[in-house]
Amino acid sequence: MDYLLLLIPTMLKGTSITLKLFFLTLAMALPLGVILALARLSKFKPLNVFMQFYVWIFRGTPLLLQLLFIYFGLTFVGITLERFTAAVLAFVLNYAAYLAEIYRAGIQSIDRGQYEAADVLGLTKMQTMSKIILPQMFKRVLPPMSNEVINLVKDTALVYVIGISELLRVAKTAAVTDFRFTPFIVAAIFYLIMTGVIQQFFKWLESKYEFYE
Amino acid sequence: MYILQAIDVYKKFHRLEVLKGISLQVKKGEVIAIIGSSGSGKSTFLRCLNRLETIDKGFIEIDGEIMVQNNADGKAIYSPEKDIERLRRKMGMVFQNFHLFPHKSVLQNIMLAPLLVKNINEAEAKALARVLLDKVGLDYKADNYPFELSGGQQQRVAIARALAMEPEIMCFDEPTSALDPELTGEVLQVMKDLALENRTMIVVTHEIGFAREVADRVIFMDEGVIVEEGKAEDVIINPKHERTKAFLSTVLMAR
Repeated sequence: MDYLLLLIPTMLKGTSITLKLFFLTLAMALPLGVILALARLSKFKPLNVFMQFYVWIFRGTPLLLQLLFIYFGLTFVGITLERFTAAVLAFVLNYAAYLAEIYRAGIQSIDRGQYEAADVLGLTKMQTMSKIILPQMFKRVLPPMSNEVINLVKDTALVYVIGISELLRVAKTAAVTDFRFTPFIVAAIFYLIMTGVIQQFFKWLESKYEFYE
Repeated sequence: MYILQAIDVYKKFHRLEVLKGISLQVKKGEVIAIIGSSGSGKSTFLRCLNRLETIDKGFIEIDGEIMVQNNADGKAIYSPEKDIERLRRKMGMVFQNFHLFPHKSVLQNIMLAPLLVKNINEAEAKALARVLLDKVGLDYKADNYPFELSGGQQQRVAIARALAMEPEIMCFDEPTSALDPELTGEVLQVMKDLALENRTMIVVTHEIGFAREVADRVIFMDEGVIVEEGKAEDVIINPKHERTKAFLSTVLMAR
């Protein structure tokens, strides 16, 4: 018990880093994903091709490797980022790529008739997207989106590789120095609480969208 | 003076020629029914009138303004986008599958375009939507969502939504084809009421009875051309052309 009291404050510190990375990534990747999805669907060929390339790069390589490239690799071309900044950048670019693909599928699943109905009523393309298509898209992508968001919580553990003391790294350090397994159990509980809250949040969100079919 | 003129309209989908020189002139207040089997090009023609489809060759003029005309090479050239947008707003459209916005309530469906396109204020839009809902007999469904309505009710809302933009011409693309037979009556009744108000209407339909009763002029299309046209009683009761006769007998037999 005494050990737990000693352990938990340091673990909470690690958790706060984890959460900070989590929320910063979400705050930027969620909207960036929409922009990227629209770019991917653009009829302007170069933009479209660029987006395919972008998604290929960020889905086609491990996030761990992307972290290393952005933190260490960029120093070779003279760009030195702070650890945490590098972590956020890598996560945002990576998650925006995945989210963009989810959004794209969601947008493409909307019936063509919705565009035509908006079109004959005189709505502009922008209005059609923002008032008709995207709101319906969000409802449809909630299940795959909740998957991604839960993955994000767990993926934050990867930033240990560039020396950031997030939750799992703190637990590992404590486990090794104190020669105990308890820190890992505490870490597991912390992760489960975070993902549990997210699950409930999405459940609530989905029920909120149940007012229409 | 015609409110709509389409002259010698051609349209191809890839290699398939769907419209092979269609002409139609509509006077203000006229109700036109376009009949014909599926694949005859009647829906495509209607969709070309408000540029849901673009034409390859031909001339279309709405309310005295040119939307599209041929260049010297006989290829259709559309007017500047800004002008076309204005012309298209004179055309209301009702689709076979309603295409209501599922995430908006019935009232919001009707208010949306006046709010966004005409920039009228919320209170005005709401009042307008209420009047139109009342007109199609659905004022009590204002706060429901489309999925809570029957097909016939949804189509009546779709009609109210189109009317909210105060179009000069109402186009109907097989408005009752997706409905169960017992629900077509209520939609046709609303359309009859509109015809009685002297609205200009172009109706692509399989409802021969409606065409006969309501339309001033009936057009029979087959394989991308107009085979026969004239007063409803002439085309439907005394068709001259063999293809018209064949079509009418199959349709009427199916009743």
